[in-house]
Amino acid sequence: MSLVNLSHVCSHLQNASLARLGLTSIPYTRMHLSLSLLLQKQGFFSDVKLGGPSPPASCFPPGLRDDSRYSGHPHARSVAVEKDRETALSRMVMQRATPEQLLAEGFHKVDVEWASLYATRTPTQLQEEGVPVEAMGLTIENQPLELAPEEFADPNDLDTEGVVTQANRASRRLWLGLRYWDGMPVLRKAQMISKPTKRIWLNSKELGIVVRGGRAGEVKGMRQIGEMMAVSTDRGVLEARECAERKIGGMPLCRVW
Amino acid sequence: MSASRSYQCLSCRFKDLTTSVPKTARRQFHASTAKPARKSAFPNVSADKMGLTEPGVAHSHARVRPYTKREKELLAMKYTPDQMEAIEVGEQSIGDEDLRIQGRPRTDPMRISYFDDFSKVRPMVDFPVEGAKDEDVAALLKSGTTEKLVASKASQTRQQAAEALDPRILRLSQQTGMTPNQINALRVKNLVNHRVVNQTRMGKIQSLYFLTIAGNENGMLGIGEGKAAEDEDGRRQAMMNAIRNMRPVPRYENRTVYGDVRAKVGASIVELSSRGPGFGNRCQHLIFELARAAGISDLSARTIRSRNKMNVVKAAFEALMSQRLPEEVAMARGKKMVDVRKVYNGGSIH
Repeated sequence: MSLVNLSHVCSHLQNASLARLGLTSIPYTRMHLSLSLLLQKQGFFSDVKLGGPSPPASCFPPGLRDDSRYSGHPHARSVAVEKDRETALSRMVMQRATPEQLLAEGFHKVDVEWASLYATRTPTQLQEEGVPVEAMGLTIENQPLELAPEEFADPNDLDTEGVVTQANRASRRLWLGLRYWDGMPVLRKAQMISKPTKRIWLNSKELGIVVRGGRAGEVKGMRQIGEMMAVSTDRGVLEARECAERKIGGMPLCRVW
Repeated sequence: MSASRSYQCLSCRFKDLTTSVPKTARRQFHASTAKPARKSAFPNVSADKMGLTEPGVAHSHARVRPYTKREKELLAMKYTPDQMEAIEVGEQSIGDEDLRIQGRPRTDPMRISYFDDFSKVRPMVDFPVEGAKDEDVAALLKSGTTEKLVASKASQTRQQAAEALDPRILRLSQQTGMTPNQINALRVKNLVNHRVVNQTRMGKIQSLYFLTIAGNENGMLGIGEGKAAEDEDGRRQAMMNAIRNMRPVPRYENRTVYGDVRAKVGASIVELSSRGPGFGNRCQHLIFELARAAGISDLSARTIRSRNKMNVVKAAFEALMSQRLPEEVAMARGKKMVDVRKVYNGGSIH
């Protein structure tokens, strides 16, 4: 349970709010996850998603989705739509697949017909001579087409959403949707209470004092409007008011308002 | 506190009905014995007995003699029947004690040497009232609204006079939508003034800088700056800017700020903290003046860095204006907020 990383998260959240970011990511740890969920419950975040180095597709509204392999965002494609015409061409050029095979696999007839026009070319030819591309009702000739090698298909689930495996554990990140209201960020400040070099523990009585705006030792009272304090307890990361209510003590992690 | 009744549940009301008489003797709240039991061994002597007080004035129980029939007749020759009625009512309502203590002619050296007759308004002595004659006064006495009318007329004349005098005040009232009277009633105070110098190739050009605050002591506050070569001019500029800049200050329960607020101007940082009822404005004089003008009565403040007067005033003003309201915070977070005091105290909150 590293408080160094948590400090980085706190300052990153402040910076992201000041920069008016809509989506940001923090490293995935269990403490970060429970803190993020707590903050989401408090209304600071619009969503919390577990993803890889790039934001998961579900973070974006459906209108922005582009299912073309080449023009769309690399990870913004759903698995179901792996049957576009570029994939068909790739299969025919790289794997010598026949149109019948592709049709049997469920590729669309139009896509297969389009792919069979260029299936005799080599990957180098495709890159140099290109293929006509239709965009906005116009046909543009000789657009170079690079077929992605198979090993680029993310076999280790590095970009898959919501899955933690041994292979992708280190590269997992939490994608947080930040909220804004009336032109101002909902999360304005996030400050550490326990520090990596000095951890502080409060019992339930002291937490009660802090929650009511008083001071307990080094910990100042919660006197900001809408301030919340995350406390790490043996029942998980809880809000300080809930701790005081349930008479649980713990280590105050950070205050957010 | 408001006089409205708070909510009581049904069983509480039953309790009221049943136990109106205490069953046991009153409980002693103090360890020492009750007063009658501890008579002093050294009995005190009252001032009356020592002849220190005027005998028969304060403590005499003799009644003051009422008007005789003859006296009333004489009075009726001087006063109208309505005034007589008023005199009689007054006689009944004023107690003997008051008459003895206060109804005596003054004997001190600063006394005025004549008796005033309040039944007449004399324009030379009393405040001038437009078109008021003796008959009007009699009619007003009957209706009992003299004071109001006199006051309103006086204020009107004063207002007209001001308008006639100062076109700037008129313009200010047009800009702010306040009447000259309301502008007059504002608490305006100059907090900072100093000399500033502009160095040009012609030499140093001096002017005077003023920082003034204005508030209605009920949630409106403004600060204004003025700079001019002449003292009077700069002062007026600052005052008018302050009145023009007045903006509402959010106040919790109309007495303190919402939570802790902090603002920074230049190197001055001002931290304002909300406090409980009756705490008072315990802060440095500049912030105290701001709080008083805004109508804040419970406040504490810290000016942790530079205490430059101008920046402190500006920072405190900014802090007061930058308060976040709980309703806004709740809305931003998508929460539902209910003020339970509105439920539990019979809705009697500010």
